[in-house]
Amino acid sequence: MVMPNTIFQQVTDALRPNRRIARPIHVGYAVASAAVFGAAWSLSSGAVPSPAGVAAALARLWTEHGLFDALAASFVLNAQAIAWTTAIALGLAYLTVVPAVRPLAAAISKLRFTGLVGWAFVFTLWARDGHQLKLWMLVFGMAPFFVTAMTAVVAELPRERFDHARTLGLTEWRVVWEVVIRGTADQALEALRQNAAMGWMALTMVEGLVRSEGGIGALMLNENKHLDLDGVFALIAVVLAVGIAQDAALGWLRRAACPHVQRSKP
Amino acid sequence: MTHLHERRDTLIKLEGVHAERGDQLVLRDIDAEIKDVVRPDVADQGQVVGVLGPSGAGKTTLLRLLAGLDAPSRGRVLIGDALQPARAGMVGVVFQHYPLFEHRSVLGNLVVAARRGGAATADARARALLERFGLGDRAGAWPGELSGGQRQRVAILQQLLCGHTYLVMDEPFSGLDPLNKQHACELIAEVSMMHERNTIVIVTHDIREAVKVSDTLWLIGRDRAASGEPVPGSHIVETYNLIERDLAWQPGIERTPAFETFVREVEDRFRSL
Repeated sequence: MVMPNTIFQQVTDALRPNRRIARPIHVGYAVASAAVFGAAWSLSSGAVPSPAGVAAALARLWTEHGLFDALAASFVLNAQAIAWTTAIALGLAYLTVVPAVRPLAAAISKLRFTGLVGWAFVFTLWARDGHQLKLWMLVFGMAPFFVTAMTAVVAELPRERFDHARTLGLTEWRVVWEVVIRGTADQALEALRQNAAMGWMALTMVEGLVRSEGGIGALMLNENKHLDLDGVFALIAVVLAVGIAQDAALGWLRRAACPHVQRSKP
Repeated sequence: MTHLHERRDTLIKLEGVHAERGDQLVLRDIDAEIKDVVRPDVADQGQVVGVLGPSGAGKTTLLRLLAGLDAPSRGRVLIGDALQPARAGMVGVVFQHYPLFEHRSVLGNLVVAARRGGAATADARARALLERFGLGDRAGAWPGELSGGQRQRVAILQQLLCGHTYLVMDEPFSGLDPLNKQHACELIAEVSMMHERNTIVIVTHDIREAVKVSDTLWLIGRDRAASGEPVPGSHIVETYNLIERDLAWQPGIERTPAFETFVREVEDRFRSL
């Protein structure tokens, strides 16, 4: 598709479906959207805290309520949960090349319909301490989604790719390594990115349920209890910022680990 | 003038091959041989067999049997000097869409294959072959960055580096423009002449290109009953010896009346299937 010439054309084209626009126009629309959002937020009264109120609450949470420690505790917990989830989910998904493992993977995939809260009591009986309890709940919450995503990726690999590797005389496990594990690494990292984002959503809930060690979820619930909406919004903003940074880091990792994805023809 | 030649040892043999997909008979009664063609005046004359047939005739099924990727439901597919039953890894396959390891560079793809013939020299052999086939400057490229023609060449080189003497190619001319089709023909001819035993089976529905590059053509298809209905199970309905017809190994053969006449003959037979 040829790009339109004039700026006006590009600005109007950005309002029509399936058009390509230049990067400056794209940035312009992003800035305009942010400005509209900021203006709407500043002008709204009552229901939504003002930007100044949120900033003040952020400073208060940082200096008086140990926001840094809470954030660090949450970050460590989330990182541990992501690591465990990744190991379990990828291991299981890759092992679906062994037919006997498929029923187990299918069963774990179905656990995504069971929810977290109901299992809290069961995990309480098993867990050694609060940290372990939260970790298990997070892993339990995330792993079924990760397993579902990656088993689908493995199942949809074309037969031709396996056959191609076999014609090169590779052993079946080497075929699995090249085609399934290395061949889908970019999709695994993308799935990891999505699950890591989901981790922050589940984390605040889990930390609200199990308050040992504090964490940003516990802090958020405290602010909620005291009807301090400024504080709640400040914590939401913090989680948002950390989540975006984490997402960018994982995106960088994916590009670094799988450069062929970036450099392939569209 | 017919080229002096002799057909000697059997390199590939199909004995009473039947293939079924579910309860559907796809191939039946396939009996065929590919023999080593020896020319006194040519050092390394390989073999090129074109397999032609209409869509759904079972060409890809035959390819998978020859490659040892599937076993026949009846009969045997035998490969090599010792005529051993075909199994995966004995025969190189260049699939229609030229699958490569997308996470490996062009050189990396070739080195994986070349390790089969010795890890110590794998890199050097891969680089040498890339240079020979005009891809030296693409060693560091990713498969996704290659054109269709380059990708095809890399896929073929990968199989050659694996040490494959026998190569089956699925629709090697599909999706190529006329110039790239010509390049593909030249590449197939060059590969076939790299070693006396090199044997390439091309599965295609592109009659002109198959005639240009092959020394033998197998036309597969189904017979028709008196009612006009196709009888289940394709088989080899015609075998054309292009050497005897003086159409093989001749550059520019496609510009001769004899070539056009023969293509029309095959097309007419093709339509009757």
